[in-house]
Amino acid sequence: MTEAAHAHHDHHHEGLPGTIGHVTPLKTLFKVLTALLVLTVITVAVAQFDFGRLNVVGAVGIACVKASIVSLWFMHLRYDKRFNFFILVGSFALVAWMIGYILFDTVLYQHNIQEYKRDQQAPAKP
Amino acid sequence: MSTGVADHETKHDLPARPPELAMHFDNMHQQFHSGKLGMWLFLGQELLFFCGLFTAYAVYRGNHQEMFHYVHYFLDWKLGAVNTVVLLVSSLTAAWSVRAAMLEQRKVLIFTLLATFICAGIFMVVKYFEYTHKLHIGAVWGGGFNVADADLPAELVAKYPDMTGAKLKEMGAGSFFAIYFCMTGLHGLHVLVGMGLYIWLLVRALKGDFNRRWYGAVDNVALYWHIVDIIWIFLFPMLYLIG
Amino acid sequence: MAGGVVEKPAAHDKPRKHYLNHVKTFGSWLVTLDHKRIAMMYLCAVSFALLLGGVFALALRTVLWNGTPADPETSILGATMEQFYNKMFTLHGAVMVFLFIIPGIPAALGNFILPMQLGAKDLALPRINLLSWYLYVMGLVLFVCVLVLGGLDTGWTLYPPYSMGGGSQSQHVWHSLVLAYMAVFILGFSSILTGLNFIVTMHKLRPPGMGMYDMPLFLWALYATSLIQVLATPVVGITLGLSLIEHMFHVGIFLPQYGGDPVMYQHFFWFYSHPAVYIMILPAMGVQSEIMGTFSRKHIFGYKAIAWSSIAIAAIGFIVWGHHMFVSGQSPTAGIIFSFLTYLVAIPSAIKVFNWVATMYKGSIDLKTPMIYGLNFIYLFGIGGLTGLFLASISNNVHLHDTYFVIAHFHMVMVGSTVNAFLGGVHLWWPKMTGRMYNETLGRIGAILVFVGFNLAFMPQFVSGTRGMPRRYANYLEEFTTFHQASTVGAYILGAGIGLQVLYLLYSLFKGKKAPDNPWGAASLEWQSESPPDFHNFTKPPIMMGAYDYENWEYESEEAGWKLKPEVIETRKTLSKVH
Ligand code: HEM
Ligand SMILES: [Cu+2]
Repeated sequence: MTEAAHAHHDHHHEGLPGTIGHVTPLKTLFKVLTALLVLTVITVAVAQFDFGRLNVVGAVGIACVKASIVSLWFMHLRYDKRFNFFILVGSFALVAWMIGYILFDTVLYQHNIQEYKRDQQAPAKP
Repeated sequence: MSTGVADHETKHDLPARPPELAMHFDNMHQQFHSGKLGMWLFLGQELLFFCGLFTAYAVYRGNHQEMFHYVHYFLDWKLGAVNTVVLLVSSLTAAWSVRAAMLEQRKVLIFTLLATFICAGIFMVVKYFEYTHKLHIGAVWGGGFNVADADLPAELVAKYPDMTGAKLKEMGAGSFFAIYFCMTGLHGLHVLVGMGLYIWLLVRALKGDFNRRWYGAVDNVALYWHIVDIIWIFLFPMLYLIG
Repeated sequence: MAGGVVEKPAAHDKPRKHYLNHVKTFGSWLVTLDHKRIAMMYLCAVSFALLLGGVFALALRTVLWNGTPADPETSILGATMEQFYNKMFTLHGAVMVFLFIIPGIPAALGNFILPMQLGAKDLALPRINLLSWYLYVMGLVLFVCVLVLGGLDTGWTLYPPYSMGGGSQSQHVWHSLVLAYMAVFILGFSSILTGLNFIVTMHKLRPPGMGMYDMPLFLWALYATSLIQVLATPVVGITLGLSLIEHMFHVGIFLPQYGGDPVMYQHFFWFYSHPAVYIMILPAMGVQSEIMGTFSRKHIFGYKAIAWSSIAIAAIGFIVWGHHMFVSGQSPTAGIIFSFLTYLVAIPSAIKVFNWVATMYKGSIDLKTPMIYGLNFIYLFGIGGLTGLFLASISNNVHLHDTYFVIAHFHMVMVGSTVNAFLGGVHLWWPKMTGRMYNETLGRIGAILVFVGFNLAFMPQFVSGTRGMPRRYANYLEEFTTFHQASTVGAYILGAGIGLQVLYLLYSLFKGKKAPDNPWGAASLEWQSESPPDFHNFTKPPIMMGAYDYENWEYESEEAGWKLKPEVIETRKTLSKVH
């Protein structure tokens, strides 16, 4: 937190007078890249082990963290208008809702499909 | 031509209307943030555009657990990881280019724009090799999936010696590749568009088009580029890593 | 002339320069960035689509005059009666939905009015606006190609497997489906760009001193619409993109014979298309709010309730799509949840209706043409919304799904409400947009014809639907004959009403009386501009005041229009001085 506040303080000296928006210090950019690379290594490492269903959760979880980092610093949402942040979060929420609900339903009706396939393969009954 | 314009000007103590300022805006801030809000809405739209593919992925994965496990060996995670790194680096250079534009560092700007473009190019070259290999061995969509047993990935054969191409086809491997090609294909298309946009920015940067109050294009293209990166951040583990 | 308040420049010497005549070349229209000109081009195009779709509708209603063709060999344009009917209902639905009703109010009326109601000079992103227009034109051209290439018989929903040739009787041609997918995909992006532009404009060009709650309710409605356009439309884009790939390469996403899942297509499709019905109705509700206030001469009742119910409708719109899939193979659990959620939509919809009625209460109602459309709207939307609730109850739906009851329901809301509001809006803003008055008597006759024809066409369908008449059939049992023939007569009356409007509106362009700046005494900012507006919209900065403060205006019989009261002009600030 103090780190971030410090960074914020720094840039004020960096921008040219009259600049629109916030200039991200180079140091921050490189720190972000490092974090992303480390997280990539972790993703790959974790995937070498079989945790069953947890693998998916882990992979998507880490990806979410990476996405947050990209959006907060590279896309400078941290310093941007609040509304732009809401657009991103809102879209992600909608994406989660769509995937979640459709997945929920398709899993529930899957047995119908399987039954149908079985009937099709079974030799015609007299 | 109109008294309206003159009237609007007087209320801000900006020295004069900058040449870049469009007729219907009051000042550069308003203009900049309008463009940016538009871009963010566009990015929200992009997420929902990809959402259909992610949903299809989730649905087919949910219903074909086993098949997904076998088939993911077809994808070389090392190539995927290389591409991930390439895209992350390009995201850095994209963010850097915004910084350079704001600080009016023209050389840095040109260099970072070029670097982003080159990274995107590398990404596409790797993709090209991945695609041609899959097409070559017949690891393709739908009913077209026909892989000879000799072409099965070594890792898969080592783990499951009695696995055959016919068995995979029977399990519905075609669905996996349908989704794989759609997702990575649409993503690749976005990368190509991004490359086009970076060329456009390069030309403008060479002409000296940007300054501290007029760099919206650099900023917005970078935002677009980051979303392309974010989508890949999800695609990589989902397709290449988890089986 | 009283008080020497707003002296118009000598109007007789030289025609005043305004947005229509400041440059006159054809090319200046093609590359224009002016929201007003783009709006007028949209208005022409969506009206064309309305007429085209209307011709298809009359064609299919004509086929339905007889339950079975007297001579089974009858052929129309090289197709049997049934094939012709199937193509007609498909093209009717697709043209009306994608080319008319979705872009209709936002892109034509909204484009013109939105910046003016904000006191702005243009939309925030004029080039995006032009792009959106050209995407629309591309979609339109592609649809015309579909027509020329032999049409489609898939229904506007394009459900696989039937649509992709999976059905044994599919008569459509392969490439017209390809073109249809492309057309809808492109039109989707046109719609997204319009919505995006509107949101940006309302956020960034709202003048200082005008908060969100100072905006006219039309703008709140457009805001809610735009949110849906931006967030839902990409889903239909990807759905049709995938369908196109499936159709061409058989990749196995939606087609069951290749391992795909057709029910998932329906999920995807309705994830967009249910919110899309709110893209159709919300702007209509916005127009309705403007009309109700203006012609009751009374401040709109329940401003905040109407404003937020628009947002609520948009939000709820995203959680009810499964009510179109109760009998499609969706799981019963999902169906029950969707049934329950669907009821929620009724709440904000009803809030609006109550507030409109309350606005009229003790108002001084002026039955001008737009107001007649406004009254039509309340009545027909009431029926349409309530029958939606019948359909939302899952046990009812099993019986009513795919019957004429559904047809009647959605025509009540789409035609009874949205088309009525579109026509009401056109009549409300026609003087502003064109600078001419239409003939009021003919206007009223047109509105009444529309009302009578519409009711005659669709009321019987509720009855035949509950008695089991299925939709999308060219033949029917004898017991349904009366219902169908009544519908057909009604459709022709409705058509006559719209035809009449086309005639007198076109006539007014050449021979109509010059319109005063504010013929109705409406109070939102656009009425402070001249009719038709200047290229920059306002020649002098508009005076800031509430969008429903009708008491600030007084009638001046000499001009046959309304003027701001002198004390308002003296005491209030203008838009450029409010900082
Ligand atoms: C007041 C709230 C509403 C409710 C509760 C509601 C409910 C429903 C339900 C349950 C269905 C499915 C019927 C079936 O196919 O079995 C339906 C169909 C439909 N509704 Fe509504 N509706 C409402 C408002 C609207 C509005 C405002 C519009 C458009 C402006 C609309 C347009 C449609 C359309 C186009 C269909 C049929 C689509 C098709 O199958 O071709 N509805 N409605
Ligand atoms: Cu619906």
